Amino acid sequence: MNLESVVSQSDRPLAEPPAGVELAARAADRARAGGPSPIEVELRGVSKVFASKAGPVTALDHVDLSIRRGEFVCIIGTSGCGKTTLLRIMAGLERESAGIVRLEGKPIIGPGVDKGVVFQDHRLLPWLTVDENIGFGLDRHSAAERAVLTSRYRNLVGLGKFGEAHPNQLSGGMAQRAAIARALVNRPKILLLDEPFGALDALTRRYMQRELEKIWLEEQATMVMVTHDIDEAIFLADTIVQMSSHPGRVNRIIPVNIPRPRRRDHPDFVAIETQLLEEFELQAKGYFGEGI
Amino acid sequence: MSLVLPVGLALLWQLVSQLGWVKPYFLPSPLTVARAANEMIFETGLLKDTWFSLRIISEGAFLGGLLGLAFGFAAGISRSVEKLVTPLLDAVRQVPPLAWIPLLVLWLGVGNSGKVVLIAKAVFFPVFLNTLQGIRGVSLDQIEVGRIFGYGRLRLLRRIIIPSALPSIFVGLRFAAGLSWSVMIAAELLGSRYGLGFRLHLAQEHLMTDQLFVIIILIGLVGYLLDLTIRTIQGRVLHWRRNFVG
Repeated sequence: MNLESVVSQSDRPLAEPPAGVELAARAADRARAGGPSPIEVELRGVSKVFASKAGPVTALDHVDLSIRRGEFVCIIGTSGCGKTTLLRIMAGLERESAGIVRLEGKPIIGPGVDKGVVFQDHRLLPWLTVDENIGFGLDRHSAAERAVLTSRYRNLVGLGKFGEAHPNQLSGGMAQRAAIARALVNRPKILLLDEPFGALDALTRRYMQRELEKIWLEEQATMVMVTHDIDEAIFLADTIVQMSSHPGRVNRIIPVNIPRPRRRDHPDFVAIETQLLEEFELQAKGYFGEGI
Repeated sequence: MSLVLPVGLALLWQLVSQLGWVKPYFLPSPLTVARAANEMIFETGLLKDTWFSLRIISEGAFLGGLLGLAFGFAAGISRSVEKLVTPLLDAVRQVPPLAWIPLLVLWLGVGNSGKVVLIAKAVFFPVFLNTLQGIRGVSLDQIEVGRIFGYGRLRLLRRIIIPSALPSIFVGLRFAAGLSWSVMIAAELLGSRYGLGFRLHLAQEHLMTDQLFVIIILIGLVGYLLDLTIRTIQGRVLHWRRNFVG
């Protein structure tokens, strides 16, 4: 089966997705929907210390963070700032060394279907079809339920015709979309994304950002995304959490109030971008001296 | 394409014997061998001996394969089981199959059970080692996918570890099948009253070179078919793998 030609078409639309107007309306609805939503995820004084041959390494140092229901949070920082560790703690894949991590008021003690995770590599299982991968978390559902949910989320991420394909027949962007569907199919309370578009080419990445925004609005999901791409963070986030490294700390929390769908030439977009870049340059000087 | 070499070789063989380059009792002509095959199959029950060998093989391979899979899985899943069993098994593995024959004859007599044990032992190791290696080769990233959805040990095993280890397990099974067939022939050669190895022994004693050829070709053919069977199953089960095909 030769999917390559179909792949490139479906990954790179020639025009902006037509959903622009509708998207703006839905985003406005969301804004009107009433006062601040309740806190979904709460981190208080979270630290993480790893043992290493050279002694203990502090990856996270007293991180405080509140994420509201339905909020899109981007955690941004240079490599080594502990942003992935923070995400893995929220996913329950790592335990915090100190502090409190709560999801809807209950401590997070391990992974589970209430927390969806998308990694940088798609991590689809190569021996399963796209549909079987998407339905992987529905092991305990009946076959009929599984079929309904699987096809619903396959269509949501735009993989309509590819249910029977195997992961190695998909392009990087398509595989990542299948991974997003797999993470969403259990209707998790929170979707955690660890640099999900980091391995994609620039055009596919922009397209995927718009798609993810659409899914976020459609599903009214709470999303936390780790990225090192400033542009991506400003494009998607309600709130940007900027971290500094060695040890990983929350440096600044920046609200982004630009109407959606966002334009990259919006004055606020440019202003936040400049502000974040300056911040990172300042940090870099701190590590490397004035020489750069 | 795959027939080019066998057919070419047969033609060369016919040519050599027709021109009388080699004495017939060193290299009988293909026609003589065909006549011998006809006689052996329809008059002296060669197929019964083949069937006999195959039956012993399947008993031994089943036993050894099952034990190999069981031990492989146990050692693969649990470090302590691995530490418990591998030193002893590694030592046992170093003793070649034929070295066990005197002891097996002493304990179990010259009957079939000794051969079954010998084949089981030959099959056990490739299956055990490849199963263990296959499980150890499962990537932590894939295990994490299971953990995210709250999979426990049993579901991890069924939905991630086994499928992920299958390619390696098949390598073990295929290798073991080839090995068991050769061990079988060797064992029969040394002491048996039935089987292809026994017929080989007979033919050698009576210097019936044409019969030797018939049996050798048959051994090769049956071995090839055994491998082809496993390969076909492997292709079906692992259809998702996309490998370099030349």
